[in-house]
Amino acid sequence: MPDFNFGAVLQGRYLDWLIAGACKTLLLFFAAWISGFLIGLLVVSLRESRARPLELLAKAFVGYHRNVPGLVQVFIWYFGVPQILPEAWQAWINDHGSEFFLVWIALSLNAGAYMSEDLRSGVRSLPPTQLEAARALGMTFVQAMRVVILPQALRVALPPLTNQSLSLFKSTSLAMAIGFAEMTYAAHQVENESFRTFETFAIASVFYWAGSFLLMWLGHACSVKLKAGRAAR
Amino acid sequence: MIEILRDYGVLLLVGQFPNGPLGGLALTLCLAITGLIASFPLAVLMGIARTSPIAAIRAPATAIVYVVRGLPVLMLIFWAYFIVPILVGHSVSGTTTLICALVIYELAFMGEVVRAGIEAIPAGQVEAARSLGMTYGQAMRKVVLPQALVHMTPSILSQLINLIKNTSLGYIISVNELTYAAYQVNAQLLTKPFEVYLILAVTYFVICWLLSLCVNRLEKKLNRSSTRNPTKEATA
Amino acid sequence: MNRFTFARMLPLALCLIATMAHANRLDEIKARGKLVCATLSGSEPLAYQDPASRQYIGFDVDTCSALAKRLGVQLEHRPISVEARIPELSLGRVDVVAAAMGYTKERAEQIAFSDIHYQIPLKVMVSSKSGIKNFAELSGKKVSANKGSTPELYTRSKIPAAEVVTYQDSPTAFLALQQGKVQGFAVAQAAGARFVEGSDGKFVFLDESLAYEPTGLGVKKGEPELLAAVNNALKDMESSGELEAMWNKWFGPSTKFKIVREKKLTPLSAF
Repeated sequence: MPDFNFGAVLQGRYLDWLIAGACKTLLLFFAAWISGFLIGLLVVSLRESRARPLELLAKAFVGYHRNVPGLVQVFIWYFGVPQILPEAWQAWINDHGSEFFLVWIALSLNAGAYMSEDLRSGVRSLPPTQLEAARALGMTFVQAMRVVILPQALRVALPPLTNQSLSLFKSTSLAMAIGFAEMTYAAHQVENESFRTFETFAIASVFYWAGSFLLMWLGHACSVKLKAGRAAR
Repeated sequence: MIEILRDYGVLLLVGQFPNGPLGGLALTLCLAITGLIASFPLAVLMGIARTSPIAAIRAPATAIVYVVRGLPVLMLIFWAYFIVPILVGHSVSGTTTLICALVIYELAFMGEVVRAGIEAIPAGQVEAARSLGMTYGQAMRKVVLPQALVHMTPSILSQLINLIKNTSLGYIISVNELTYAAYQVNAQLLTKPFEVYLILAVTYFVICWLLSLCVNRLEKKLNRSSTRNPTKEATA
Repeated sequence: MNRFTFARMLPLALCLIATMAHANRLDEIKARGKLVCATLSGSEPLAYQDPASRQYIGFDVDTCSALAKRLGVQLEHRPISVEARIPELSLGRVDVVAAAMGYTKERAEQIAFSDIHYQIPLKVMVSSKSGIKNFAELSGKKVSANKGSTPELYTRSKIPAAEVVTYQDSPTAFLALQQGKVQGFAVAQAAGARFVEGSDGKFVFLDESLAYEPTGLGVKKGEPELLAAVNNALKDMESSGELEAMWNKWFGPSTKFKIVREKKLTPLSAF
């Protein structure tokens, strides 16, 4: 049995790298979650808008993100898109933290596509009379979605949304391939220099498990609270 | 872009075959299908364990599922890379490591699909089976699983789509599947990453999208048959 | 000896036999008839895939073939990434690594190095338009490197004011430089030469070197027979001129790189 030495890994600049990696993972996750959720709301509204071209656009968007691997999506945004952007834009992005910016875009769009599908199942679960009634009361489509449909859909969609958030949290590890120093990247870096494979991977794994359990617990707590609120009414 | 396909098309499709090991798209599909077939029996066992009335079986199964689901697939691959040779006692290729990682991943996820399938079978069926004198095992084998597995087929195919997408992570451990082959092409050309990655994305899209169309068709067919012949289901 | 004692002795005996059988990797290689030799991929001209034949070719691939020939076995070639070189050797997955393996004392604790068959400077590549002329001007800027490579290590120690960003492989790290995501690319001259040559003057190496790195072949630690066989093969290749001919084929005056192999085969004890 090899000797395990967690102390050797949890000190000095190795510890700095690991902590920085954890912070960067959380930063990427929260940023991508917020923008992904907003994109999801937008896309589900397009999908339910009953305007053919908008529906097709939403379908194509979701289809692309669901059928292309996450890693390839990240590569396209990080290496592919800058190639076709004008020079000035490229320079601006590079000066403002291109790794984070581009992988944030890639993950937001990806999460947005999946979340829109979850929200859509929530919207589908509502009787169509809700939208009709809202329109009959004089609301525009946008108002109806915002005030009546989406809040209710959200309640139904909470379990799949929790799953999706978990998936997003784990997808942040893809950023290691493009040089963004999140947790998996940091663990690799420490492992390459210290040669302590088991200890570094164990620490990274504990981080991901802790994050996953926290997210699942949060989702469960939210759904309980929402149900309680509804019952009280 | 046409030149890229013309010059490197065969490399992307089959890697070095027949002058070397299989690679490219062919390897991607082989990896995904092997992963699915290898993990299927384990996933069924996992699904049964998860719905078992015996807590001593249910608890470890639940723990395994949570442990595997809590990690990114990339970390699973790194763990497999590190641990599998130690378990087996000799070195294994990157391809084998990737398949092991995918099997562990599917064990948890497809296990959940099987669990959902088993739980979807009305409890009345199991009660009827038990009252006819079947043991739990017989009831599972003859009544619940056959129905559950047929209904789960669309979900199982969806897992195949997930597997195909996850094989792209083989790039990180230098397995010569489609994404790695595309990286090789990119390493030669250097100035056309957008075109190369676009070809890569389109290839994955076409395959996964066609599979998802099959999944949709299957789902519709299964829903239609079950609503048309409710008695057929009850006496199955 | 009764059945009970035999049953208890058998596993012990098997373990002993197993360890004895595994103790000599060289015999294992000869018995299997194949040498598993790993090189990089996508690293012209060290080891890369020829698009026409879809075969791996390059200086390191030729080194592996020559080694296999001298050991009297077939070559089984495997591509690996820079960061996988040491784990693959320590875990015993490959027999020899010929992949721009720079000698450092830390690495020598994990694996065994052969004699040094070439030494080249580790340099930083920059865009000619950037006007960066030396390492001091890289402070506060980003430098890319291959994960787990010696240029990564040396950049951190020699240019501490620069931020090092690592990628899975050299072409990706160069792409980052090309797209302006980083301002420098730290790489060994032999591995990076093709990017400079192919860029029509857009990218150049800085004159300063990070280090002058001795490069050798890597084998698993604790396999003295294999190490001796590899070193003998290298000596043979050097004295017969084969090593020099291979270098000239890939890096010599008739190629676009024109790098001279200044130091010939040097024993490891010199470092």
